[in-house]
Amino acid sequence: MILKLFIILFFLMLLVGGNRGLDSFLALVRTIFAFVLNVYFIAWGMPPVVTTFLVSIFFVITVLYFQNGRNIKMHAAALSVMIIVLFIMVTAGPVLWKAGVSGYNEIEQYEEISMYLSADLSISMSAVSLSAVVLGLLGAVMDTAVAITTAVHEVYVNQPALGEKQLIRSGLAVGKDILGTTVNTLFFAGLGESIMLAVLFMRNEDTFASILNSKALFQEVSGLIIGAIGCLLIIPVSSVMMAYFLMNSEKKE
Amino acid sequence: MRGTVEGAPAIWKRITGLLLLLAAVLVFVSKDAFLYSDTIVKVMSVENTFAFSNQGPNEEEEQYYEQAIEGRILNGADIGAVISLSNTYSSSGVNDERYRKGDQLFVTISKGNGTGMIIGKKRDVYLVLLIGMFLFALFVINRWQGGIIFVSLIINIGIFLIALMCYGQGGNLIRISMLLMMVFSVLTLLFAGGFHKKTAVAIVSTLFTTLLCYFIYEIVLHTSDRLPYEMMDYVVNPTDLSDLFFAGVLMGSLGAIMDVCISIAAGVSEIMIQTPDIGRKPLVRSIREMGYDIMGTMINVLFFTYISGSLPILVIKIKNSYTLYHLIQFQSIFEIIRFLMGAIGIVLAIPVSGMCSVLILHSRRFEDGNMVKEQK
Repeated sequence: MILKLFIILFFLMLLVGGNRGLDSFLALVRTIFAFVLNVYFIAWGMPPVVTTFLVSIFFVITVLYFQNGRNIKMHAAALSVMIIVLFIMVTAGPVLWKAGVSGYNEIEQYEEISMYLSADLSISMSAVSLSAVVLGLLGAVMDTAVAITTAVHEVYVNQPALGEKQLIRSGLAVGKDILGTTVNTLFFAGLGESIMLAVLFMRNEDTFASILNSKALFQEVSGLIIGAIGCLLIIPVSSVMMAYFLMNSEKKE
Repeated sequence: MRGTVEGAPAIWKRITGLLLLLAAVLVFVSKDAFLYSDTIVKVMSVENTFAFSNQGPNEEEEQYYEQAIEGRILNGADIGAVISLSNTYSSSGVNDERYRKGDQLFVTISKGNGTGMIIGKKRDVYLVLLIGMFLFALFVINRWQGGIIFVSLIINIGIFLIALMCYGQGGNLIRISMLLMMVFSVLTLLFAGGFHKKTAVAIVSTLFTTLLCYFIYEIVLHTSDRLPYEMMDYVVNPTDLSDLFFAGVLMGSLGAIMDVCISIAAGVSEIMIQTPDIGRKPLVRSIREMGYDIMGTMINVLFFTYISGSLPILVIKIKNSYTLYHLIQFQSIFEIIRFLMGAIGIVLAIPVSGMCSVLILHSRRFEDGNMVKEQK
């Protein structure tokens, strides 16, 4: 079934996007490959957060530079994304750690499969959880960053006389427009994923209090919310970054 | 734009106000034990001692520790009493948890001897903290538009819960999710685009694309091997697993499809405003151009959102020497299908919304144009 869908996706991308559809498809294959490598690196005992950080750099470079070319817009976007990734690691890490989101949740603990999997892995599951969250927000944050730097660049090309402040302002304005739809994409993706969990909670007749404090809900929701926070924060960061880059490159010329 | 930008002092005022509000809510939630009927214990002191080490599947040493915990009861009849608890945790924390000083735990008290059993951690503070941080960033960056996004999210969650209850009372799942899909797209797109022709275009093309996705999914599903539903994350009720999963797949794609449709519709309507007498061919070319830009990045968004969640279980299984084939065929198959269907939805949405935009927005232009000419 996966193979069939994959082939359908390939032909549709080719049909709709032509050569650039093919490019996007190859980029997707690269991304999948890098993700699988990341999982194996962690499983082989490399520190999860460091590995994930390095792989994120790889993702950012391949996705931004290969798909959109090497230019000032992508430099600004790449740098902003890495700032956000670092920031999320530093701030969200402790929250996840304190809230205890790692490992199996209440429901998985009683599923058959967790009974015969060995739990003696000597890998910190909190670090793995943080890695998952960081990877999860990468896509949406990159998307927003590229949209903003491209738009700011466009404004600058049309009105080169604009100063740094005006450029930042137009970046923020563009960001506001994109934000709603990005948050929606994340929201519905999460909603679709959590249907099973919601039905399970309902069938078990769990109380509101136990749902609110459950690890399962927290695992399901935290990645989503942190992703949305990343998308919000990237708006000012990439606006400022792009404006700064434009102002400084002008001086060199 | 200038008129709407506020001065720096106003921004700082708003930031401080929101921060104070957030802090107040957090303090309240961290002290809300009296609202719970279950007993809550605050950890006062913890003593960790090394217990034993276990050999893992690849000969790693896994350390286990015993925790002797002293805690104070925060609610109920025994409020203020001190209680001692015990817990075991491992250095990986796959199947257990380490508690620290200051944590609040749900506990069942054993009568008489001042001990109890830990049920779990109280996580509401952290949940509220995350949601609060999100809202804080939303309102600082976006002000009233942020409010609109927030309201639309709340309404959507409310509708979702109502639909869930209908299903719980025995409603037909497929019919409910179809209805849900329509309500979601109409409401969300109205919130995003307002009462405008482009919103109508987006709604029509979203529904049409979702319908196409539905057919593709059904065809592929019925020509392939049965999916290993029993491997799904939260197995609920064996009879309607396939329908439930299917509803989740469609709903997950919906957000991405709407995103593409509104982008294309808004783009076309923007072009129509800038160059009202554009011909059909250049318009189609611009739509294709927009499509290229959207496609790659949107598919990336879905990939990371869906697949990254399974990172922990993948690591656990690889450590337990499962092969990549097993992981793809059984463990991650549902995430992968979700992602692929979403990606197919994105790619389909581009020509569908492009066609709808051309048909609705572009043909309308001629009517409007003729009317203007007649008036002149």
